[in-house]
Amino acid sequence: MNTSVPAATLLPAIARGDVSAFETLYDRYASTIYALLLRILCNTDDAQEVLQETFVKAWTSAKMFDALRGSEVAWLISIARSRGIDRLRSRRIRYEREDEAGREISVRSSFVEFTTGSDMAIQSQERTAVRGALAELPEPQRRALELAYFEGLSQSEIAAKLNEPLGTIKTRMQLGMKKLRDRLQAFQ
Amino acid sequence: MTTHEEFESIAALDAIGAATSGEATALRAHLSGCIPCRRARGEFAEAALMMVFALEPVRPPAFVRTRIIAAKEEAERRFNPWWLAVAATLFLALWGWREFGIRVARERDVSQRAEIERLEHENALLNQRSEKLSAEMAALAAADTRTISLSGQEVAPSASAKVFLEPSRRRAIVFFTNLPANPNDKSYQLWIIRADQPKPMSAGVFDVTQSGNASIVIENLPVATEIKALAVTLEPRGGVEQPTNTTFYVAGNASM
Repeated sequence: MNTSVPAATLLPAIARGDVSAFETLYDRYASTIYALLLRILCNTDDAQEVLQETFVKAWTSAKMFDALRGSEVAWLISIARSRGIDRLRSRRIRYEREDEAGREISVRSSFVEFTTGSDMAIQSQERTAVRGALAELPEPQRRALELAYFEGLSQSEIAAKLNEPLGTIKTRMQLGMKKLRDRLQAFQ
Repeated sequence: MTTHEEFESIAALDAIGAATSGEATALRAHLSGCIPCRRARGEFAEAALMMVFALEPVRPPAFVRTRIIAAKEEAERRFNPWWLAVAATLFLALWGWREFGIRVARERDVSQRAEIERLEHENALLNQRSEKLSAEMAALAAADTRTISLSGQEVAPSASAKVFLEPSRRRAIVFFTNLPANPNDKSYQLWIIRADQPKPMSAGVFDVTQSGNASIVIENLPVATEIKALAVTLEPRGGVEQPTNTTFYVAGNASM
């Protein structure tokens, strides 16, 4: 990564109330986190709200960050994914209720406003390699991983959605993750 | 029993949030004591992050950044120590007010207990006085009651006393009138001069107020035939074994 402030120094500085460190954190990772939230929620309003929740949480809980347990971006992604999946689940429940009431709902009514090629979380060549690793996965494995990671579905929910036996789904996810890990280790 | 390979497979699922709650619980317990599996779990977590990094980054609209900075400041205000200080001050004030209320209630309780004790003591005194009056009335009304008159002497010529003697109960009640009030360091003492003994015998100590009146009850009297005379002297407060002077205030013979 090519940044003026070393990544590991941002959250400790934010914990001390350093506003400029917070702004740097946002500028560095907002595009990655926003892309993740759009992928999970498929709605710009919801994604922006959860993006706000994520960074405010980072501001108020920066002192909880433990560098020994992972990187800053991993910590932010963990917060964003958890809150994004929560929002998605509550929205599903709301839509199910509205569907029961006979309303016509467009679940994915809006999409990304604009995109950019700039990102500070990962270099573009690394992204290309990661995409290559994902692309090498058999489609059923990749699909199962995406349903679990981006939509927060359980093994049994994925099996029901894909109309496959539970054991098959479990094996697909395990194989897919092991392949991803092996490819990642090959990069390093 | 679950093997390391099986735990590694569970770790792969856990990294993308797909492990069941039972699998996740068993994995956490195992990871605490297994370094290779903990390392594998970390590798799977990094692999899961690759799914995010593979996404094309999307820059949020500029207003979102402004809104987040404002929201951060709002959150900061909520955590501001100044508000904490105000909250702490309010808490202490309310706590102090409550403690003050409790203290006032306790003091009121103590005061009420003291008042109850005072009234109980007063009630006991009234009961004693009532019993004394009852005894006096009984003595006065008894059929064998004898009366002895004591007359004022030189120091108190207008004073007098009446002794109502119940020989059967060896008890007497003496009413004094027009005696001068005794000083605070002195007491009046009634003496019985016995026919069978050379020395006077103390029959009781009493005080006289400005009213000049007093009464005492004498128990365990000698038999009537042994009482020769009665006399009152002024003695040191609380009384003495034997009279310290011969200045009688009232005196009289018991023979009738």
